[in-house]
Amino acid sequence: MSPAITVRDLTKRFDKVHALTDGRLTVERGEIHALLGANGCGKSTLSKIVAGAYAPTSGTVLIDGKEVSFRSPRDAEQMGIALFYQELSLIPKMSVEANIFLRREPRNGLGFIDRDRMRAETLKLLEMFKEAVGDDIRPDALVADLTPGQRQIVEILKVYAKEPRIVIMDEATAALDGRQVKVFFDILRKKREEGVSTIFISHRLDEVFEICDHATIMRNGAVVAETTIADTTPEHVVHMMVGDVKKAPKRQLRDEDDKAPLLKLDAVGSAQLDNVSLSVAPGEIVGLGGLQGQGQSTLLRSLFGALPITSGEVLLNNEPVSIRKPADAVHRKIAYVSGDRGPDAALPGRSIFENLAAAILVSERRKLVRAKELQPQLAGVASAFKTKYARMTDAIGTLSGGNQQKIFIARWLATNPQLILLDDPTKGIDLAAKADLFALIRGLADSGVAVLLYSSEESELLDNCDRIAVFNDGAIVTELSGAEMDSFHLTRAAYGEA
Amino acid sequence: MSETSSNMNSENARLRLAAILREPVVLALFAIIILLGIGEAVSPGFARGDQIIKLLTVAALLGFAAAGQNLVVLAGGEGIDLSVGAMISLGAVIAGNVMDGSNGGIIPAVIVASGVTFLIGMVNGLGVNLIRIPPLVMTLGMTSVIQGGLVVFSRGIPSGNAAPALMNFINQPVVFGIPGILFIWLVLIIGMVFMLRATAFGLSIYAVGANPQAARLVGLPVKAIRTIVFGLSGALAGLTGVFVIGYTGNSFISVGDQYMLPSIIAVVIGGTSLAGGSGGYIGTVAGAIALILLQSVLTTLHLEFWGRQLIFGGTLLLLLMFYGRQKSARI
Ligand SMILES: Nc1ncnc2c1ncn2[C@@H]1O[C@H](COP(=O)(O)OP(=O)(O)OP(=O)(O)O)[C@@H](O)[C@H]1O
Ligand SMILES: [Mg+2]
Repeated sequence: MSPAITVRDLTKRFDKVHALTDGRLTVERGEIHALLGANGCGKSTLSKIVAGAYAPTSGTVLIDGKEVSFRSPRDAEQMGIALFYQELSLIPKMSVEANIFLRREPRNGLGFIDRDRMRAETLKLLEMFKEAVGDDIRPDALVADLTPGQRQIVEILKVYAKEPRIVIMDEATAALDGRQVKVFFDILRKKREEGVSTIFISHRLDEVFEICDHATIMRNGAVVAETTIADTTPEHVVHMMVGDVKKAPKRQLRDEDDKAPLLKLDAVGSAQLDNVSLSVAPGEIVGLGGLQGQGQSTLLRSLFGALPITSGEVLLNNEPVSIRKPADAVHRKIAYVSGDRGPDAALPGRSIFENLAAAILVSERRKLVRAKELQPQLAGVASAFKTKYARMTDAIGTLSGGNQQKIFIARWLATNPQLILLDDPTKGIDLAAKADLFALIRGLADSGVAVLLYSSEESELLDNCDRIAVFNDGAIVTELSGAEMDSFHLTRAAYGEA
Repeated sequence: MSETSSNMNSENARLRLAAILREPVVLALFAIIILLGIGEAVSPGFARGDQIIKLLTVAALLGFAAAGQNLVVLAGGEGIDLSVGAMISLGAVIAGNVMDGSNGGIIPAVIVASGVTFLIGMVNGLGVNLIRIPPLVMTLGMTSVIQGGLVVFSRGIPSGNAAPALMNFINQPVVFGIPGILFIWLVLIIGMVFMLRATAFGLSIYAVGANPQAARLVGLPVKAIRTIVFGLSGALAGLTGVFVIGYTGNSFISVGDQYMLPSIIAVVIGGTSLAGGSGGYIGTVAGAIALILLQSVLTTLHLEFWGRQLIFGGTLLLLLMFYGRQKSARI
């Protein structure tokens, strides 16, 4: 029997950029196949070609042994191929159900949209994730009102609604927390049993080793290796992908008591926050743990002035402050990095330079841009964690997902903040760059910056934080530090059993 | 050089050329050249220097009105200013009455006309951003208010006169056979380009148009920026009014109406996206010139009014369809 997908000698050029120089891939029926590699190595490009969203420059794609040439994603869908888009394909101002069935709405006998059936089928799809989200996602909810993780779940459901035989999951777990990933993997396994082939792209290696059967590894636009997961180790895979990765540096020992807190929250409350008290000293990286959507992001956004705080007090350097809008925060040298880059950070159609300069223009109250002086400065910050781009004047959309995210982080680090609020900041960033980023953040902390970090990835909190405040339903239920900083305690606290 | 790499180079050059040809500014320039060619073929002398200068003078007036329109559209939020026509009329009537034929009144006329229209523009901006009235509705409503006000003020009789110095400045050559208005336009072009590319305010306009939520999250005052662009649009339209009365000599209360639609079309065929966040003034300048040329060519063709309208409308639809297609990518 021929494999579900065979890709041979695939190449893709965008103007001068060789995004893909040697794409090769074989995926069998009923297999979960990892596609791995550093940011910008061509994973999404290859995926989009297979799913008919890009036309290749050269090369062949075979489905069930037959050569295909798709002119649109529609063509690919008809052959049973569906792609989870890394940057999501959802329309924010439309409902969950309308998005899932966009341009494929069920029709009644008269040709009108059959709303009852659409609702019923959406509910059936949502049932798949019930264990992770309960009834939190309603079919008629606007996608714009969902959390990043919930939006990813809707994108996943949109893929499965097409009942595909071949699925490409391009970083579908990037914003999912541990519980959501677990449910998602149960679905993947069930689909595997049904004979569905999955191409699984993720920068989280533990996930790859948990769920995948085989892996194809790419570097700089070319496939460099193919391996069976059972026959290899994470270390070896990392080595093939990027070479060596730095170890996360630990906090330098310091005398904690003589440091006055840089940030102190005293019973901070709002619609979604319940009496949050927390203090962060200069030099500390404090994690915000717990299941997704328990108030971690809300707290970070509220501290940044993007959401209201209705009670309690926020003290910055021992002074009560009132931060009513992001501009106030920026001028107090607070930075907020959102991992939800599409809605929160990207200036689509604008250049990499403009996207980089946006925050520093505000923080320094510049009247003139002075691009000549600013460009090298910003390029320096971006290169500290391997941001890969051709020219600063290129549009932001020409960058790979991970490289875009690095631009949005660099945007803030360039402002020399005293307090950095990180809201799932590494979404889409590869291992090596992540290590560089956290080494940089640790360096900043050592020079006196305070950091608050929320991550949907447990290991990121455990590896990089000095202590972790665990959230449940808008309140801090526990603070973990020292010997308790492990997966067991974190999980237990997250489920409210601490 | 090996054969493959020279092949690659020519391939690169071809791709780059294709990319340049897709630039709206370049397209508008092509349209300008073709239109000049047609004009010259139909009526020899059409493309003569002095004729071109006359055309550019008319284009300059449109260019001024379209500059403000351009800023409003760039800032996004479905931004559009349908009140530019009425603002031009208002500017012209104010200028005519302040000057009343005396050269000493020119500077006060400029200040009062653009000041009043700036304030009215700010009212537009506040209505859109504070009360959340859709720009289309707000500025259309403002058009009626201004027109009503003008009728009451002037009782329908043309009032006020342009100062002779202003008329000379706009219609007569200053140096090298070029009238003063074109120099002022050049200053505006340089100013607009500088503002949009080199100032933080210019970049903020693009940021706010490209993604208001992201703009807010870097600390930009989205509503303030989207309000000020309406004020600037008003002021630029008011200034256009001053030039219009200088061009025609006296004003009547609907003198600006003919600029409203063209100001939008010039912006769009110049490559500024109606969704905001991308485009620029150079394109709009090319768009304004192409539009005036098209009108002029159609006039020289001695067509009936309806024929002119038909061809004008058809050409615009064609251009807009072309631009619309560019934007839609494969998803
Ligand atoms: N539309 C485009 N125009 C120009 N260059 C592009 C475009 N899309 C991708 N590229 C370039 O192609 C290369 C591969 O990008 P791709 O998105 O496939 O990377 P990726 O492996 O998915 O990375 P990531 O892990 O960051 O998502 C990058 O160098 C990127 O800059
Ligand atoms: Mg990608």
